[in-house]
Amino acid sequence: MRLPPQPGERLDRAQEVTFMFCGKPVRAFQGDTFGSALFAGGQRIFSRSFKYHRPRGLLCCSGACPNCMMTVDGIPNVRVCAEPVRDGANVQPQNVWGSLDRDLLAVTDKFGGPFTPVGFYYRTMIRPRRAWPLYEKFLRNVAGLGRIDKHGARRGRYDVEHRRAEALVVGASEAGIARAKELAGQGRQVVLVDENSDVAPVEGADVVAPGRALGIWEGGLVPVDGGNVLYRYRAETIVVATGSVEQPLAFPGNDLVGIMLPESVRRLVEDWAIRPGKRAVVITADETGRESAQLLRKAGVEICGVYDLRRERIREIVAKGRKGILRSVEIDGRRVACDLLVMSGGRQPAYSLLAQAGARVEYDDSTGVFVPTEIPDGIEAVGSVTGEGIGAAIPAATYNGASGQGKCFVCVCEDVTDKDLKRAISEGFDSIELAKRYTTVTMGPCQGRLCHLPSIRVYARENESDASSIGTTTARPPWGPVTLGVLAGRPHEPAQRTSIHHRHKELGARMMWTGTWRRPYSYGDIEGEVQSVHGAVGVIDVSTLGKLLIVGSEAAEFLERLYPNRFGDMKTGRIRYGVLNTDAGRIMDDGTIARLADDSYYVTTTSTGAGAVVEWFEWWNAVWGMDAQIVDVTGALAAVNVAGPRARDLMQRLTDLDVSNEALSYLDAKHARVAGIPSLILRIGFVGELGYEIHFASPYGEYLWDTILERGADLGIRPFGLEPQRVLRLEKMHILVGQDTDSESNVIDANMPWIVKLDKDDFVGKWALEHAQARGPRELLVGFEMENGRVPPEGGQVVLSQRRPVGRVTSARWSPELRKVIGMAWVPPEIAHDGAQFFVTIDGGFDKAFVRLRPFFDPDGERLRS
Amino acid sequence: MSEMFAFLSPDLASPDVASASAWRSSLERALQHAPAGVIDISLSGKLEVRGDVDELDAKGYDVVPLGPERALVICDFTKTGRLRDKLSETFLVFDMSGALAGLQLRGETLMRRLTDLDLETLPAVGSVAHVRTYVLRDDAETFRLFFPQEYGHYLAEVVVDAVEGLAR
Repeated sequence: MRLPPQPGERLDRAQEVTFMFCGKPVRAFQGDTFGSALFAGGQRIFSRSFKYHRPRGLLCCSGACPNCMMTVDGIPNVRVCAEPVRDGANVQPQNVWGSLDRDLLAVTDKFGGPFTPVGFYYRTMIRPRRAWPLYEKFLRNVAGLGRIDKHGARRGRYDVEHRRAEALVVGASEAGIARAKELAGQGRQVVLVDENSDVAPVEGADVVAPGRALGIWEGGLVPVDGGNVLYRYRAETIVVATGSVEQPLAFPGNDLVGIMLPESVRRLVEDWAIRPGKRAVVITADETGRESAQLLRKAGVEICGVYDLRRERIREIVAKGRKGILRSVEIDGRRVACDLLVMSGGRQPAYSLLAQAGARVEYDDSTGVFVPTEIPDGIEAVGSVTGEGIGAAIPAATYNGASGQGKCFVCVCEDVTDKDLKRAISEGFDSIELAKRYTTVTMGPCQGRLCHLPSIRVYARENESDASSIGTTTARPPWGPVTLGVLAGRPHEPAQRTSIHHRHKELGARMMWTGTWRRPYSYGDIEGEVQSVHGAVGVIDVSTLGKLLIVGSEAAEFLERLYPNRFGDMKTGRIRYGVLNTDAGRIMDDGTIARLADDSYYVTTTSTGAGAVVEWFEWWNAVWGMDAQIVDVTGALAAVNVAGPRARDLMQRLTDLDVSNEALSYLDAKHARVAGIPSLILRIGFVGELGYEIHFASPYGEYLWDTILERGADLGIRPFGLEPQRVLRLEKMHILVGQDTDSESNVIDANMPWIVKLDKDDFVGKWALEHAQARGPRELLVGFEMENGRVPPEGGQVVLSQRRPVGRVTSARWSPELRKVIGMAWVPPEIAHDGAQFFVTIDGGFDKAFVRLRPFFDPDGERLRS
Repeated sequence: MSEMFAFLSPDLASPDVASASAWRSSLERALQHAPAGVIDISLSGKLEVRGDVDELDAKGYDVVPLGPERALVICDFTKTGRLRDKLSETFLVFDMSGALAGLQLRGETLMRRLTDLDLETLPAVGSVAHVRTYVLRDDAETFRLFFPQEYGHYLAEVVVDAVEGLAR
């Protein structure tokens, strides 16, 4: 079928390329596409349609329709009509059970019609409900087009690049190139993008091809898919030169193999020197059809008839074939034998990008197509996308859908016939937006390029209105298919690591996420780590704590307005535990507040709450304007907690500071050099043993950690992770905000009423706490211990003897020190007294638990204060 | 006041700590096989300055404006102490030398793979791979980035990966 060399052909006949198709080698020339080479070799059926599995052949040859989609080198849904050949490539058909010639699923075409009307999935395969897993399996196997290799390693690499352009021209059409040259001549920085790869250089402009513009977003943002790189362009001026799309005609049998649009004919003959058929009929509603006829004649094709719908009144067109291949067409009953039918229903401007940018879309009665109007500022439209040069086209060819004559397709992507559209309208889906969603017309790979206008025409006829009142559906990005990979780019998942992070890994810690922080869960021996804190000394990296400095003459008042606590009466060098509330009196965060000077406080927050607390403080002070500087030093400082009966011995080896109990008491804060590094030492007790939290400049994290482990070696020091820390704090009944509290919990119900100083001036959440106190608690947070050794799940139900759930478990652990299971739970006030009994659901059973109000370990805090 | 905040300043560690090369950068491990043009500049002085920052004369240090009364001052590490004391006479100064890590990069295209900040209007603060970063430009192809040190390892990995992507 190859013609002799054509003027301007894209083939390099000196360079031969071979690829495989269905296991057989196919010869091609450089400049061919896979599709053109297959066609030249005699292949006519390129795919099977979505629902009915009807044979489909080349229709548009320009990447608009779905007919030529195949899997190339494992990548599905490649439009082979546009994909340049590659030597050694492996091309396979898709969506077939069997082969392209004999697809077993074609039974749906013959018999499935009644079972697969429009919207069938809302009506069929629902009962019996038990059979759904079977239906689902079947549907999953027949749905979709291509298949992806689920076990394939990530192919290639995708990057995102942010670029700027003074003028971005979308579409290397004649009009686009002309405008690009014009703008470049004016000295603008011009970028020209086109979805095809064969674009010649343009003087003065930066050409990106292939580069498919996906859409236009606010701020002149146009992401351009360059295959492996997503170019995110921000352009001052965007020129849309996306041209227009040839429209099919709707008549029974209009999807037969051998029916083509004029562009197909032009490309096959002129670009790839291929004769598309032997006997051709042309039915056209505009001039392009006539041009195709001339081209075909020159290529040696017999023209059996040219029907110009602008001049002739034709009532009925029916295409007929055998096994899906065109054999003849009947025009008003007169049969003409042919193997090629060129149809042209006019050219619809590809206005999608313009519509996305805010342009209006209106029906032009003179041309019978929709054109963009009211182009917004910063955007230009040039070429046939504006509707210019389209020429008068009659919305021609009746959609008679005569029964028994064959299916008349409005949407070849989704196999939607005109009968389907009529049925949808009669069922009540009579607006274009509703009908689109119900029938799925325009929702396939062509995204409306070939079916939006035809479907509107059917609508207008059925509803007895006109196309302009029907309107168009909303244009949305992406304008063309785009891989998720290129949208995702590189996996940029921020992770925060402390300056001691690598030491944890070197010690074999199992790391976990706490928010976006990486933290050590444990070093492999949770019980051992817990016991080393009780029996000797342990060290934990708490650098993730949020840390703030509040500095200024109104620092104390500022904090008193934010917290329910009182801070103004704190002495310099003392620490208090504070709980931050929302303005609805709910617990937001907790931490320590140390007074460094009259006008300086050092505040810590939870690890995951730091950002929110900083924002909260800054937001309130933007309103109050108090003399209180807020400085986020979370990353500036690392922090470690050394805890255990031998912690003081260790501290004596690390600092010259007097660390006796009298000089550095519980809840004291002091500056000192620790291992030569200026530090702030906070003597606090989250884990319940004698402990010191050392805050110091981050870059010395590893140095201080190493020094501590070294100097504490003979004291039996062990690092401990987050999980042992959780056990230890639970033994002391210390809450974890977000674990033991939720968005409804307040400080009073959480059993910390002593924190709230209602006699203070107004503070955030005061009114709510006054209410809570007056109303009395609806539930209370208490500790509990289990009668037996089973650990209840977090969230486990608390039930009383009537088996009614009345509360929930928030934390529960086995305590190696106490040799029992302990936990915390929200319970009704009636049972919130020591020794009260309740049940907890575990594994479908009910285990007995006893309420404990005082800390399980060292309830009087003697070890803490030692 | 500066004594109270001495624990922020890495340059105030004792001489034996300094000689032990105790100061570590969070970028070290990720930059072990750093490509050419990617340099760890974490060891530098960074001071957050609050007050009438228009008065900063930028003599011997760089200034990144952060707001009407806030700026980040960047200087040579050895000069941090002196500059901190001098600026404390007129401004509120908080030492962020340990808080921020730094990277020097070469290549505008590399920068375009990392951020959508307008590279013609630097210095500025913006997002680089989702991390709030201070970005300075020394010449057409040389950029300096400063960002929270806890994201150092992550950002260094991102940069090394981006360089690799460009090399393909």
